[in-house]
Amino acid sequence: MAPRTAERLRVSFVVAAAVVALALPNFADDYIRHVAARLFVYALVALGLNLLTGFAGQVSLGHAAFFAIGAYTAAALAERWQWPSALCVLAAAFFTGVVGYLLGLPCLRLSGLYLAMATLGFTFIVQEMLLQLAVITHGSEGMRVKPAAVLGFTFDSDYRKYYLLLGVTVVMLLFARNLVRGRTGRAFLAIRENERAAEAMGVHLAQYKTIAFAISALYTGLAGALSAFLVGFLDPQEFSFFLSIQFITIIILGGLASLLGSLLGAAFLVILPELLAGLDVWQALVYGLIMVVTIIFMPFGLSGAIRRYRYRWFGIGVEPVIPRRLGH
Amino acid sequence: MVEILTSQVVSGLATGCVYALIALGFVLIFKATDVVNFAQGEFVMASGFISYTLLIRFGLSYWVVLLVTIVVSGVMGVILERVVVRPIMDAPIFSIVIATIGASTVLRSSAGIVYGYDVLPLPTIFSKDPIRMGVLSFTVMDAGVIGSSLVIMMALYLFFTRTKTGMAMRATAQSQTAARLMGVSVKGIFSLTWAISAAIGGVAGVLIAPIIYLDPNLGVIGVKAFAGAILGGFGSIPGAIVGGMLLGILENLSGYFFNAGIKQVSTYILLIVVLVVRPSGLFGAVAVKRV
Repeated sequence: MAPRTAERLRVSFVVAAAVVALALPNFADDYIRHVAARLFVYALVALGLNLLTGFAGQVSLGHAAFFAIGAYTAAALAERWQWPSALCVLAAAFFTGVVGYLLGLPCLRLSGLYLAMATLGFTFIVQEMLLQLAVITHGSEGMRVKPAAVLGFTFDSDYRKYYLLLGVTVVMLLFARNLVRGRTGRAFLAIRENERAAEAMGVHLAQYKTIAFAISALYTGLAGALSAFLVGFLDPQEFSFFLSIQFITIIILGGLASLLGSLLGAAFLVILPELLAGLDVWQALVYGLIMVVTIIFMPFGLSGAIRRYRYRWFGIGVEPVIPRRLGH
Repeated sequence: MVEILTSQVVSGLATGCVYALIALGFVLIFKATDVVNFAQGEFVMASGFISYTLLIRFGLSYWVVLLVTIVVSGVMGVILERVVVRPIMDAPIFSIVIATIGASTVLRSSAGIVYGYDVLPLPTIFSKDPIRMGVLSFTVMDAGVIGSSLVIMMALYLFFTRTKTGMAMRATAQSQTAARLMGVSVKGIFSLTWAISAAIGGVAGVLIAPIIYLDPNLGVIGVKAFAGAILGGFGSIPGAIVGGMLLGILENLSGYFFNAGIKQVSTYILLIVVLVVRPSGLFGAVAVKRV
């Protein structure tokens, strides 16, 4: 297919998605608006985690902790010091980014499973801190969060929250797109493929790895802060290691190192349980089965499957192939 | 005072031995097939429920139950490998991990559907009577758990060093191609590895469920065992054993000195500190990269 037709297909797809996203709340009830807003929260986390794990190749199971830090920072600033909401969200995102940078420092020497375990430990530690620092977090009682307000405009309905999250997600998506296409993104990919080779080409490993941690944490902290205002209540039990595993599942099912995959994965993992809600006790069972079947048929995730069929049906791009590992 | 401390150490070692058994399951599968099986903890949970059913509902004798549980657990491992892992054996390692996480969700919720989420009592043949030997103070149960674990580890050691099948498994772990050229059925070895790992997990379940609790979330213990394997150096068999035992002891001691919340966290703080100093764990081989 001619490149021009391919480009046209892309543009019309993006336009269609934009129209649907903008029009949706006007044709949906509050339940769907709320689920969609939650989808954007997870999409933000997935974008951040994918930058770190998908692009830079650093596995993290610590993102439930970043999410919690963002959420609690925003909630505490709003409750104790009555900061304006916008400032709360920005400060929470920035603070989480700093924490991510600091966590990145001891993690510089770790990789693969060891990194996964160390960051998982971080999740356990932060969750326990939420319970112990009851002065700020109210411990196991949880924390109420008042709706966000910017310049007198209150985001109190699901309708308004939807557009707020849509806006933030689009901005952060464009930011991520610029990042991965630029110098930083190329450095991330180089580190993932071969650290030695990246270093030889002049990529400062320590600097880029910690930057990846910081940016990833910033995205997740931002998502956490917005989620605090979206849900209106923080329960420390929510930020367990299951949440970290859910985050990593999103980006793997969606597709590693794919921004579209981050969105699709978030949609998959937010919408699927809602669809299965009627199954009662069978919900988790069916959910697990669908997860296994999906990954068996789409080993590169949803975006990998799209790449495959885009190539097979329209001849666009390249087909993802499984590199044969040595010894098999 | 000293007695309390030693009893804490011994009961920690008992739990640690169970962690070590589960960690062995992780490491055996990883060495042979390059797969990290996140459903390892579910073998522990499932075997707890299987033995509960056989003991309480069918009233079979303890040793028969133990035998049946181990066999059933092993068969479960083989099925999991055939159905979930083998179809995507060549896929990116991340995808395989997610497949095993999905499988563990399925197993956990199946147990929840059949048995509900209440904690069930699982009897054990070991009593909780205290034994005192000088400054050492422990229960029969501690001694029984530690003894059984050591017997299984010894049996595994003999199996890997003295039998032809065991050697074939070690050969496969070193090089699948070379093993295949020597006439080893690599796929058969894969199945056998999963069977053995699941069976060890089964024993661990029968040993640990009476100590902590038996409910569908028992599989979360796999996370601790995984931490133990990482502490020792993932991929090292002595590492898995020592790491698991150390983790059990430390966890118990910090539970003694601090409150229950700190107990859960202290092991992870220690783990991070150890990893910062030794990025491949205590016994892990330092990866030498060739340019």
